[in-house]
Amino acid sequence: MNDEHLLNCTELHAGYGRVPVLRGVSIVVRPGQFVSLIGPNGAGKSTVLKAITGFARLSSGTVTFNGQAIRGMRADRLVPLGLAYIPQGRIVFGQMSVHDNLEMGAFTVRDESTRAKAFARVYDLFPRLAERRTQLAGTMSGGEQQMVAIARGLMIQPRLMLLDEPSLGLAPRFVQVVFETLAMLKCEGLSMLVVEQNAAQALALADHAYLLELGRNRLEGTGTELLANPDTRRLYLGD
Amino acid sequence: MVTLVQVVVSGLLLGGVYALLAGGLTLIFGVMRVINLAHGEFLMLGAYASFFLFVRLGLNPILSLLLSMPLMFGVGWIAQRLLISRVDRAPLLASLLLTYGVSLALTGGAQATFTNDFRSVPFLSGALNIGELAFSVPRLVACVTALLLTGAAQFFLARTRWGKALRATAQSADVALACGIDIDRARMIAFGIATALAGAAGTLTSFLYTIYPEMGKTFMLKAFAVIVLGGMGSFPGAFLGALALGVIESTASYVTTTQIAEAVIYITLLAMLLLRPQGFFGLKEA
Ligand SMILES: Nc1ncnc2c1ncn2[C@@H]1O[C@H](COP(=O)(O)OP(=O)(O)OP(=O)(O)O)[C@@H](O)[C@H]1O
Ligand SMILES: [Mg+2]
Repeated sequence: MNDEHLLNCTELHAGYGRVPVLRGVSIVVRPGQFVSLIGPNGAGKSTVLKAITGFARLSSGTVTFNGQAIRGMRADRLVPLGLAYIPQGRIVFGQMSVHDNLEMGAFTVRDESTRAKAFARVYDLFPRLAERRTQLAGTMSGGEQQMVAIARGLMIQPRLMLLDEPSLGLAPRFVQVVFETLAMLKCEGLSMLVVEQNAAQALALADHAYLLELGRNRLEGTGTELLANPDTRRLYLGD
Repeated sequence: MVTLVQVVVSGLLLGGVYALLAGGLTLIFGVMRVINLAHGEFLMLGAYASFFLFVRLGLNPILSLLLSMPLMFGVGWIAQRLLISRVDRAPLLASLLLTYGVSLALTGGAQATFTNDFRSVPFLSGALNIGELAFSVPRLVACVTALLLTGAAQFFLARTRWGKALRATAQSADVALACGIDIDRARMIAFGIATALAGAAGTLTSFLYTIYPEMGKTFMLKAFAVIVLGGMGSFPGAFLGALALGVIESTASYVTTTQIAEAVIYITLLAMLLLRPQGFFGLKEA
């Protein structure tokens, strides 16, 4: 066990049915790091996050979080450990108000004052959500819903946040807002593992980054290194 | 004019009990995506519980709810844990077959244990006269109790931590898990509450109608009609649908005969399915 590692995934193998999707993926997140996970469609990026959070079954590999083996644990048991997961597709509870969505994010936070602090911090971070706290989340714009989804994850004051394609399908204006938010959270010292198809911006923020291809690690390095790498440039940055 | 008011009010009184039954059915569907065909049998169990507590212990049916509702909550919790949890992620047919099996087993078990004799609970009688209007006292008491219980359930769902967690689970089980909600527990709570409400509806019908092992079937059909009117998966929808059904039924049986009134209910049901299949407040998703 390495104390330096907040999250340590080694040799992950997983698949849906008999189709293998992950064929040996290893990923490390150190405390305070912003780690980006990029790769082409179908590379298995979402599956990595699902495997960490128990939504996809691993056939082999190890996952440790904060020194504890968490492989196979269901998502609801990981939340109290400080692991927040924001799935792909800006999923919110559409028939509930923004405030109730956040309250559900804080479901495991039983202490009233901790909960109040989390609300204050999140509303401070997203004034837009504070204005709209009584609105049904399902009636908000795509970008606003993504804010609700991220804010929901922040309610547990996580040690690590896993984000799956937070900017996917958003209008350019909101893509900017999402990346500004991520940059702000990084500045506050939040550890994050972020899957993004928007490679240029995700790499620009990354302390460390991984490029997956066909369910395997293809490249890794600092964000700057991957940005400068001819392969990444050719594959993702349209050179 | 007086008769019209009388008929409408009688219908609303009827609707209160339907709301109790249909609310649970719709809650189960919302949270588990399961159509519980044994729901009427839970009503039947509640009616027998009321009967035996009344006959053996002389317990007032309304007070006996304090005993039977927690008991029925436990029955529902265990049913979800041992049976329904095996099929609540499977295609709808699996849960239909399973709950139909449970329905048959409970009816058969009741026939074997309680016999097919008709029973009744002679609790409350007479009418309350307000001006020229007369209201049956037992119906009034049943309706008020039903409304209080429906209101309590609605308060639980709208305001409390676990109530919201139930609704969150209904909307997206995966995101509920990612919020740290134990969705298995949410499902057991939902089934427990629905069963307790069905049992309470049984207790209230026990002093309005005859009690017999197959009584659940008629009420089940009414609960379906309510849900078709109100929309599947919506608790407030079920409440309004129930009041609507009560008024339709009461008006139809005043204008025509009781038999024709039953037919009118199903004609309304079919018309609703043709014209607005999602009901007035149904879930918008497919
Ligand atoms: N539930 C599922 N059942 C079967 N196959 C799946 C399932 N989810 C994903 N897959 C398959 O697994 C492979 C990897 O999917 P994954 O979602 O992890 O890719 P991704 O890298 O996140 O891609 P994208 O950029 O499109 O989100 C794909 O070929 C996909 O078709
Ligand atoms: Mg993906």
